[in-house]
Amino acid sequence: MSRALDLAERAVRAAEGDEADASVHVERSGFARFAASAVHQPTLIRDESVTVRVVRDRRVGCATTNRTDDEGLAAVARRAGEAAERSPVDPGYPGLQPPAAMPEVEGFDEETAAQTPEDQAEQAAAAIDAASGLGLYGYYTSGATEVGVASTTGHAVTQSTTDASVLTLAAGEDVSGYAEATAWRASEIDPAAVAREAAEKAVRTKDAGQIEPATFRAVLEPYAVSELLFYFGFTSLNALAMLEGRSYLSGRLGEKLFSDGFTVWDDGLDPRGYPKGFDLEGVPKQRVLMVEEGVARDVVWDRRTAKQAGRESTGHGLSAPAQAFGPVPFNLSLAGGDAASVDELAERVGDGIYVTRLHYLGVVDPREGIITGMTRDGTFRIEGGKVTTPLVNLRFTTSFPALAAGLLGLTEDVTLVNRSDFYDERYPFGTLVPAAATEAFTIVGTGSGPGL
Amino acid sequence: MYGAAVQDLAERALDAALSAGAGYADARIVQRRSQNVSTKNGEVDSVSDAETEGIGVRVLVDGAWGFAGDPRLSGEGARDAALRAVAFARASASRARTRVELVPVPPASGEYEPKVERDPVEVPLEEKIALCLRAEEGLRRPEVKITEATVRAMNEQRVFHSSEGARITQRFVECGGGIDALAVSDDGRVQNRSYPSAHGGSSGQGGWEYVEQLGLDREAPRIGEEAAALLTADACPAGVTTIVIDAEQMELQVHESVGHPTELDRVYGTEAAYAGTSFLKPGDLGSLRYGSEHMNITADPTTPLGLGSFGWDDEGAPARRQPVVEGGILTGYLASRETSALIGRDLGGSMRADNWSRMPLVRMTNLHLEPGAGSLEDLLADVDDGLYLCTNKSWSIDDKRLNFQFGTQVAWEIKKGKLGRMLRDATYMGVTPEFWGRLDAVAGPDEWTMYGLTNCGKGQPGQHAHVSHGTSPARFRDVQVGVRS
Repeated sequence: MSRALDLAERAVRAAEGDEADASVHVERSGFARFAASAVHQPTLIRDESVTVRVVRDRRVGCATTNRTDDEGLAAVARRAGEAAERSPVDPGYPGLQPPAAMPEVEGFDEETAAQTPEDQAEQAAAAIDAASGLGLYGYYTSGATEVGVASTTGHAVTQSTTDASVLTLAAGEDVSGYAEATAWRASEIDPAAVAREAAEKAVRTKDAGQIEPATFRAVLEPYAVSELLFYFGFTSLNALAMLEGRSYLSGRLGEKLFSDGFTVWDDGLDPRGYPKGFDLEGVPKQRVLMVEEGVARDVVWDRRTAKQAGRESTGHGLSAPAQAFGPVPFNLSLAGGDAASVDELAERVGDGIYVTRLHYLGVVDPREGIITGMTRDGTFRIEGGKVTTPLVNLRFTTSFPALAAGLLGLTEDVTLVNRSDFYDERYPFGTLVPAAATEAFTIVGTGSGPGL
Repeated sequence: MYGAAVQDLAERALDAALSAGAGYADARIVQRRSQNVSTKNGEVDSVSDAETEGIGVRVLVDGAWGFAGDPRLSGEGARDAALRAVAFARASASRARTRVELVPVPPASGEYEPKVERDPVEVPLEEKIALCLRAEEGLRRPEVKITEATVRAMNEQRVFHSSEGARITQRFVECGGGIDALAVSDDGRVQNRSYPSAHGGSSGQGGWEYVEQLGLDREAPRIGEEAAALLTADACPAGVTTIVIDAEQMELQVHESVGHPTELDRVYGTEAAYAGTSFLKPGDLGSLRYGSEHMNITADPTTPLGLGSFGWDDEGAPARRQPVVEGGILTGYLASRETSALIGRDLGGSMRADNWSRMPLVRMTNLHLEPGAGSLEDLLADVDDGLYLCTNKSWSIDDKRLNFQFGTQVAWEIKKGKLGRMLRDATYMGVTPEFWGRLDAVAGPDEWTMYGLTNCGKGQPGQHAHVSHGTSPARFRDVQVGVRS
């Protein structure tokens, strides 16, 4: 039996109530973070956490611990029971997930799980060595995680996953370029190649020029598309936001809102991403088509929002203490298009800007999908259909719906882009996205130049 | 596990690290309990009660860092963490180009704990829920479709031992709360108001009395009314004008455009790949004009109730009040022992770790804008035509902490020194030193308020820091406002 499921079942057995469930997270990871071409913050983490939810007379209490001996599990179950006892009845409580067949998913690789600190340092060194002549900043990380959910309904599921990522910023005083790669098999990422991509990009950013703020045609690399799509997804493709009227899709399902080429879904079962068989409530993952050829179709649901709307959960719930955020689309995909390369996208743009990566996004108006942020580490002018001279970092405040309504093209190839910043418990996730060209990317100011 | 047993574990970790070849080692043992209660539309939305414990061991081997965390507070867990940290440091050291040097810090022994009248973790759940529901009740209006209230509590023990002889035990007690009202119009427009601060309210280091003095239920009717009124307010016009920023938004302004750029690790580039660098250079210390003569910024981890208060930081440096900007001139940085050695001056005392499983980073402690003189009304009185901006709504700033755009939940016109009509969707933007150069007045001590936030992100893997900022309302001339997409 897996460690996570063993802990979950022991925690449920320790709970006293009408019903109870437990979700467990087990992590073992290493992080070789480097700066100025030297590893400077190497971090190794081991942890296990158990969250118990106890229900008594439709009153719900939760408690979490990382003390996983019998005494610790008994104590966390007792605290959850006491919290239930002291809470009022929860009228929106949707009940626990009954036993259900789980989809078979990939996502675990023995070699990745077996990586040692020495392996992680070696991968970081491979990246550093490849960025010759420039300082390299970023990290190589790999880890193995296990998630398990068990409940008094007899439901018991577990999944082991692995992940590996390399993130590189090649930079000098006035140049910088960016590249990253991620996969659940470490063997699928090549830190040296990623660092070379960043270094080659950096060299092209020297002598960056200014540009007057305006709405531009633009090519966005997958790194930029991924971040915008995830921010939009978190705030608008979430059933709670839609039900509360905060989502761009509130009251707009069925309407043609975006370009024909804009088709978005969430699919935890896709082996090209970070596969997940179930969510943190133990609900089997479903593929959810959210935008079909520009028409808003649906959002993702957890058990609570599904009950509220008379729907079924699509398997996008968080663990009980975090459910106030609503369901989250952790496996977003944007369909690829018909462009062979970003160069072809630049040809379609004609004159505009080319964006590699974004920085520090903020949602200015979730209801209208307006997002602000900066470009960085590879912003260029597009002239006559060609990517030409470098630009300083640009402040954008742009409507994501307008960007998606004005698509000029998407690359055929899609790339898995990591979206985890590894706060708290490790839960690898990312988006599968192409590069995009759009008619409408609004720049409202200019910032500093590339480089350190 | 308390007292001597914890001290013994820390010693075992140090012994294991030194025996395995570490030239320096420190061990942090953290035991934390945290609770959150939130209610929404008159019902309990979430109740969580989490505990975590573990040991984090940091070592230097041949001048290179290594760090490992282990949740087992046992001899085996302490030893494993130490040996893994040494192994990772050794693997990294072979590629190191320079040796890490640390400025000397006298090894400290002592204890720290804040003044607490009522332990917030021990306040009964029923009382927390009742407070949230009561505050929410006050927010309700027909236009307000979503009402929310939240309170949090935390109790933490942290033990720090170093191979240099530091033996420190600290207890941290935090609590806080906030309320939010989301108004939705019939045609789907949305506006929100929060108190005392957006994004989770405000927290302080102290007992439950901190939450009680916030007056969540007292302020709720005003917040509900303002959320509803925003639905019919005019949009903030675009232009260049004088702005007066309330203390809450000034907290974010200080945090983003002074706190982060003065973190010395960013200045040296070690955050370049994620949070970014800084427009400041080491040689700017003592000479760079950061803002006008009205700008005085102080880092003070001794401030009562501050979330960034401690006796010693997470590498054993003592808490001390240090100027960062004096009369508009950069005179300090937030630093570690390592970055102090790089700049050649001991500015340390700002190393903080999210938890036992994370390596300490240079972080803000309590970073304050020192008060000026007069009242908010005095600031407004000297504005013929401008805006009064309140409570953060959105924020973004570039990787060197220069170009920023912030949005506020609400604004009011200022006409001939008086507040006029309410405006929605206000934004303002600027470039850090130019913007601070436009500061021409800071309100006085009576207007000075401290806010505590718990969501400051930095590092890879990511870490949250809890920091506080004391600020007064401040006035800036000739600022670009009303930026729209």
